[in-house]
Amino acid sequence: MNFLTALFNGLSSGGTYAIIAIGYTMVYGIAKMLNFAHGDIIMAGGYAMFTTLLLVGHPIPALCVAVAFCVALGVFVERFAYRPLRGASPLAVLITAIGVSSLLQSLAQIIFGAGSKMPLQLQVSGALKLGAFSIHYNTLITLAVTVVLMVALTLFVKYSKVGRAMVAVSEDRGAAQLMGVNTNAIIAVTFGIGSALAAVAAYLMLMKAPSLTNTLGAMPGIKAFTAAVIGGIGSVPGAMLGGILLGVIECVSLSIPAIAPFTDAIEFAVLIVILLVKPAGLLGKARREKV
Amino acid sequence: MSTVLAFFKKPFIRKYANYFILALITLVFGALSLSGSLKMGNQFLLEQIAIAMLLAVSLGMVVGFLGELSLGHAGFMCVGAFLGGKVSAILVPALGTNANSILVLVISLLVGGLSAAVFGMIIGLPALRLRGDYLAIVTLAFGEIVRNVVMNLPEQLFGATLGLETPRFDRKYLFIIALIAVLACLAVTQNLMRSKHGRAIISIKDNEIAARAMGVDITKYKLFVFTISSFFAGVAGVLYSYTQSRLQTPTFDYNYSIEILVMVVLGGMGSINGAALAAALITFINFKLQTVLTGNLSVLQNVIYSLILIVIVIYRNAPGLKAFREKYNLAVLLQKLKGKRAETEEKEDA
Amino acid sequence: MKKLLAIFLAVLMVATCAATLSACNKNSDTIKIGLSGPLTGNAAVYGNGVANAAQMAVDEINANGGLNGIKLELKVMDDVNDPTKIQANYSALVDWGMQLSLGCVTTQPALEFKTLSEADNVFFMTPSASADAVRSESNGYQMCFADAKQGKAAAEYVNSLEYTTIGIFYQSDIDYSKGIYDEFKANLSSSITTVEASFTTNTSSDFTQQVAELKNCEFIFMPIYYTEAALFMTQAKDEAGIKIYYGCDGFDGIESAEGFTISAIPQKITMLTHFNSKATEGAAKTFIDNYTAKYGAATLNQFGASAYDCVYAIVGALKKAIEEGKTVDADTSASDMCEILKEQLNGGYTYTGAVTGTGTVKWTSDGFVNKEALAQTIKEANG
Repeated sequence: MNFLTALFNGLSSGGTYAIIAIGYTMVYGIAKMLNFAHGDIIMAGGYAMFTTLLLVGHPIPALCVAVAFCVALGVFVERFAYRPLRGASPLAVLITAIGVSSLLQSLAQIIFGAGSKMPLQLQVSGALKLGAFSIHYNTLITLAVTVVLMVALTLFVKYSKVGRAMVAVSEDRGAAQLMGVNTNAIIAVTFGIGSALAAVAAYLMLMKAPSLTNTLGAMPGIKAFTAAVIGGIGSVPGAMLGGILLGVIECVSLSIPAIAPFTDAIEFAVLIVILLVKPAGLLGKARREKV
Repeated sequence: MSTVLAFFKKPFIRKYANYFILALITLVFGALSLSGSLKMGNQFLLEQIAIAMLLAVSLGMVVGFLGELSLGHAGFMCVGAFLGGKVSAILVPALGTNANSILVLVISLLVGGLSAAVFGMIIGLPALRLRGDYLAIVTLAFGEIVRNVVMNLPEQLFGATLGLETPRFDRKYLFIIALIAVLACLAVTQNLMRSKHGRAIISIKDNEIAARAMGVDITKYKLFVFTISSFFAGVAGVLYSYTQSRLQTPTFDYNYSIEILVMVVLGGMGSINGAALAAALITFINFKLQTVLTGNLSVLQNVIYSLILIVIVIYRNAPGLKAFREKYNLAVLLQKLKGKRAETEEKEDA
Repeated sequence: MKKLLAIFLAVLMVATCAATLSACNKNSDTIKIGLSGPLTGNAAVYGNGVANAAQMAVDEINANGGLNGIKLELKVMDDVNDPTKIQANYSALVDWGMQLSLGCVTTQPALEFKTLSEADNVFFMTPSASADAVRSESNGYQMCFADAKQGKAAAEYVNSLEYTTIGIFYQSDIDYSKGIYDEFKANLSSSITTVEASFTTNTSSDFTQQVAELKNCEFIFMPIYYTEAALFMTQAKDEAGIKIYYGCDGFDGIESAEGFTISAIPQKITMLTHFNSKATEGAAKTFIDNYTAKYGAATLNQFGASAYDCVYAIVGALKKAIEEGKTVDADTSASDMCEILKEQLNGGYTYTGAVTGTGTVKWTSDGFVNKEALAQTIKEANG
């Protein structure tokens, strides 16, 4: 029974990781950059939500504002911090992303102070009872949102014009450009989608655990990065799988008191083992290097 | 001034100019410190600069020369710091010496360096299979695992949450020793990279398949670079343990690894002097920001640091700014200054 | 590149030399108090609470004529809860002319601060770094309870209740929580079985799993800080199996956590404390009102109250020393200041203030604080 509870909690926190990881992975696939500032977009979304809640007091407008704000922020950061470096070494972009991340965190503290905020209006109470076993509505909502978003994104990437342009850019940017794809616009759209997902992730995180500080996104960001790599970076279903797996491992490990303090180590060790067996992640495509 | 410049233009001197400059600095500050006129803050600053240089130069071997991205350098440092620190914490009371015993220092440096090197070799193994960002995340994971495990081991081993109590070297001398370690690290790295082995390593970065086709033993060189690099990270860790009264695991988190990576990238990939210089500069800037912006202003430290970071990286790397860069850079500025000075000198002569 | 290197290093050398040779600025007329705390980063809420409260105490004392006419001056450095930064902070404070200090806000940096200040004989009284190892027989005192004492007191309290099973919820990677936890377990009666759940800094954003572990425990001991405690309680408010939360001084300030409505928590919340942040009278109330008016409630906590008291206690001790004929002014060296304060604190000086509730505070010569621990109910269970 205990294990089952841990499993469901794992699915729920894994769903959140998955949504963040999808954002990571899409940006990576297209811009070929590790966006270390992705976690801080989540944090920015959290504060946008918190501010709206103070003014309006209802979660739905708050979510809409947060999504809009995150999209704007993501596109803005891409335009002014990353686009000038297109064509430069990937490491240079990585360093800029780190700079952006620390800048966003500092700005959040300057604006909102150091104390943690508790946007309680996002909470959902109650649980679905199945005999002796109960699943919190949080878990169900998170899972439903994750599945819907993943299906929607997969369909979007497969069938819409923009989505197919995204695939083209990620396969070969130069060739896509020659075929008339506006790569800059496509990359901006990708950042927009990734940031919108970050806002949704912020909502899910604060719904379960209403505690908002300027480091809200830092560790989930790294965990999601790990999840994206486990699943095979660049692959949307992979990110989903990786996220869920990571969440389940985390919760099962936390549920056993003797190994609970080692949870971080266990998660990362699983990552290493998976990568040793499958060097391109679970669902990643192994590319043969050509000479 | 001109004689000094002429001295530095001799080919032999030119080749080893960085040693001379660093040795000179060590001598000057060492003399100042021994005569008691170096302030405590500057002694600390020099310690930190030396440790940062060791870390940046050693990470530069992996990232800049071998071309593999590593985000776990602080993990190797952590291994060295805790094992070396443990050795010195045991030896100092066991031998009945004080904390300033050179013998204990050398033993702990070796233990810390070698144990980190062993871990470096182990982490080098996946590097044979993994590329780029996959390797990066494995090294990051390694760093976090080390940190987590060290903290949760029984308190008698590494001090658990309170941290491991380590002897503290007299700060009057420690930075001199650390700078000497940097010199040794420079000597090893520079000579290695200028040898045929160094060329082989660089060829792996440029094109692994071509290198293999030319008969370069990829496995050997990759493991070798990881081992050497983590050896020096371990040495830096032991030196760090001598600067602190207690070693705490949170110090060695992934943010620290990233900070070292920033130094390497800002210094210019594949430039040993660049990495050392950037390490000194970044440590200096952070130290000054920290001590100048206090109280309510301290939240600005990170804002300023990250803005500097973003602007420098974009300025140095943006393809669109190439023309701008060629027009306005330090070299051109210096040339202009020089030209002006030459003019004024001519006038004075006249 | 090499030329650049040479030029840069030359500049660095000149700059550092200039800094080395510049004269010590000892020509001011204030008593200088140093403090280092996490003003940014994960623990920023504690650092800012302490910095604000200490500044408030200094301002109040200065407005009332200072220490017999001499004004106080406080300098706060940011250490991001990272012991590596203490060297720079400490040396900058010494260069500034620090005569006495409040040490560090958090334990890990405080251990480093202790070593450095011991060598120079600089007095410190930390408001909140609570590990036993922080205080020093030669120069350091604590205003807060040491962790081990809290753990023991908490265990004795729990032993006196009639539970056969209790839950424990702690943070395994910080010294405060782990220190109390270890001591609590060591002193807990063997007839009581425990159900345990823990978290780390990295897993502190969501407690769904831990709530599930502990939901059948009537009584839960939580030696953690109030931010995490508030989050746990919020996440567990539907769990009817949980009846009572019991915490240590980390709970202080929980009802003022921003956005947290304590009345929405159905369970009873009790704690072992020395500060009553819901106080309706006396010095505690004055402190809370003034602090909230000046800095808002977001950073109000018992650390700040402790810091406020530290400043008043130090000034009180100095006043007493002056009455006894000692000379204390802006020119007193840090080491002399330390000897003067030590003589007072070891010699039975007592203090009453915001965090002490109704009792008084004394210190023992090994730096531990000696005061009354209040077992306090913050909130009764909802009917």
